[in-house]
Amino acid sequence: MESVTQERPTTPASVRSEPIPEGGPAPAPKTGWLMEWFTHWSIERRVLAGFGLVFTGIVVISAISYRNTAILIENSLLDTKSHELVQLLDSVGEALGAAESGHRRYLVTGDESYLISYRTVVEQMPDYLRYLRSLTGGGLEQQARVAALEQLIAKQLRAEAGAITQREKRGYDAVRHLALSGAAKNELEGIHHLMMELDSAEQRALLLRVAQSAGSTRNTIALLGLGALLQLMLLASVYFLIHHDVTERRRVATELQSRGELLQAANKELEAFSYSVSHDLRAPLRHIDGYAALLSKAAGETLNDKARRYLQTISDSAKQMGQLIDDLLVFSRMGRQDMLRTTVNLDQLVKTVLHDLRLDLQGRTISWTMHPLPEVLGDPAMLRQVFVNLISNALKFTATRPETKIEIGANKRNPAEVEIFVRDNGVGFDMQYVNKLFGVFQRLHRNDEFEGTGIGLANVRRIIHRHGGRTWAEGALDQGAAFYFSVPLARASR
Amino acid sequence: MTTIKPILLAEDNPRDAELALAAMEEHHIADKVVVCHDGAEVLDYLYCRGVFASRQHGNPVVVFLDLKMPKVDGLEVLRTIKNDVNLKPIPVVMLTSSREERDLAQSYALGANAYVVKPVEFHQFIKAVKELGVFWGVINEPPPEYSERIK
Repeated sequence: MESVTQERPTTPASVRSEPIPEGGPAPAPKTGWLMEWFTHWSIERRVLAGFGLVFTGIVVISAISYRNTAILIENSLLDTKSHELVQLLDSVGEALGAAESGHRRYLVTGDESYLISYRTVVEQMPDYLRYLRSLTGGGLEQQARVAALEQLIAKQLRAEAGAITQREKRGYDAVRHLALSGAAKNELEGIHHLMMELDSAEQRALLLRVAQSAGSTRNTIALLGLGALLQLMLLASVYFLIHHDVTERRRVATELQSRGELLQAANKELEAFSYSVSHDLRAPLRHIDGYAALLSKAAGETLNDKARRYLQTISDSAKQMGQLIDDLLVFSRMGRQDMLRTTVNLDQLVKTVLHDLRLDLQGRTISWTMHPLPEVLGDPAMLRQVFVNLISNALKFTATRPETKIEIGANKRNPAEVEIFVRDNGVGFDMQYVNKLFGVFQRLHRNDEFEGTGIGLANVRRIIHRHGGRTWAEGALDQGAAFYFSVPLARASR
Repeated sequence: MTTIKPILLAEDNPRDAELALAAMEEHHIADKVVVCHDGAEVLDYLYCRGVFASRQHGNPVVVFLDLKMPKVDGLEVLRTIKNDVNLKPIPVVMLTSSREERDLAQSYALGANAYVVKPVEFHQFIKAVKELGVFWGVINEPPPEYSERIK
């Protein structure tokens, strides 16, 4: 009945929150390798990846929407300019027309009042033209047309100015043909033609932009819809994954619980069995010892030395077995007893243990090395038992030494746990058998070397395991031994 | 005190009973001991019925009670004794192999006057039984007989 598990002072496996991939990748094969690869991710990574994708989607869609809106705003500005241009062209055309007809009437009549609109045009034309240029800021074609228009208008105005001068100097007859056909007739036609071109080009651009704006708006709406859909899908899949994971965890938890219950029931049965066996074994032992004693009393006189020794051996064996059963009962009780969890001052505890062991210390030369011990979390009575067993062991196995050296101390390996050790300069043990040390009824020494039932260290291990700690030992033959155990600290900050 | 008050020993195991008697023999109190072999017999004795219907009335000076007994176990007998006004004053000493906390707690909760674990070693056993017999049978002043005082 070897229950010793490998327990060397290895670093404890780090606690991980990932779901245990029990029995390999279980999910349905139809989801493919991608899904399989994905399910190997931890829940945190999955959620993070999901939200990362959603976030990227939102950023991309926002950027595209922003660009589209910027285009819309720019187009509406251009539209305003185009409408102004068209209006301006109308006014310019009208003004030029009015000036031309006024000018011709003047040529006919010589009445200067007809020249008012002409003079106004001459005055205002530079402003009109500047305005026109500013409105055609973007398009090269339109700019070229405006430049040509400027030249033609200047030409026409010059021709008209020339006609007016002739009329003033030489009278009606000199300018009659001009009055009939109009000065700079070709230019005027060119002007009208150019203005129509300007107008129609601007209208075309306007129409194009309207179409572009409408397209862009449609685009944005579609994109936003798509984005919303995408995000919904991603959120849904993230939810699904979390849900899947949680369900899996719940299932594992339920299974663990049911297994725990089974284990507990089995354990209880075993404890009841061992209790009953130990209990019922005591009665016949008492009888063996009792009747042996009665026999030696009744027939003591008639027995020879050999027979008396036989009787003594019967008696001794019964007592030894009684001790074994008592130890077994203690061991069994350690496993069942309800455990306290309070702060235990180990310094104090060791002091009381040494006081209790003072009878064993009598007549011994012992040099103690006591390092300060921390406060730990646990059951005071059980931890006391641990120290009693370890110190008794140290005393027992150093009994053959002229001077006994025992050292008790603590190493803090991490903030939550402390290692306690009890070291002696006794007979030690061969590391080859280290795994047998903590087993029930496992002994490394013959009974005539050192007495014992082999339950002490098993009890130590059982108690420490119930505290969530570990036990291990180091030693060498004839060079002493050190026994270690770890227990949770009372305050993690210490 | 005209009659010698008996010591009642409830012990289902005849060997344990014999060893106990052998222990008391050494102090010459064995003849005062009445041995019952199960819980039912103990109750028959205390209520003067069955095989004990014709016994002389009066309570024993002490009852030594084993826990594990056939028919009616020790705790059941203890409960009956401590729930009966006339039997309640009888000192009851649990004499058992069990060192279990649960057994101890239950016994005291039911009103046991003492709890003794039978030692495996015979000399210790003899010593324990002898001391118990002497203390409860000789040294201790038993309660006055209720049937005489209370009408």
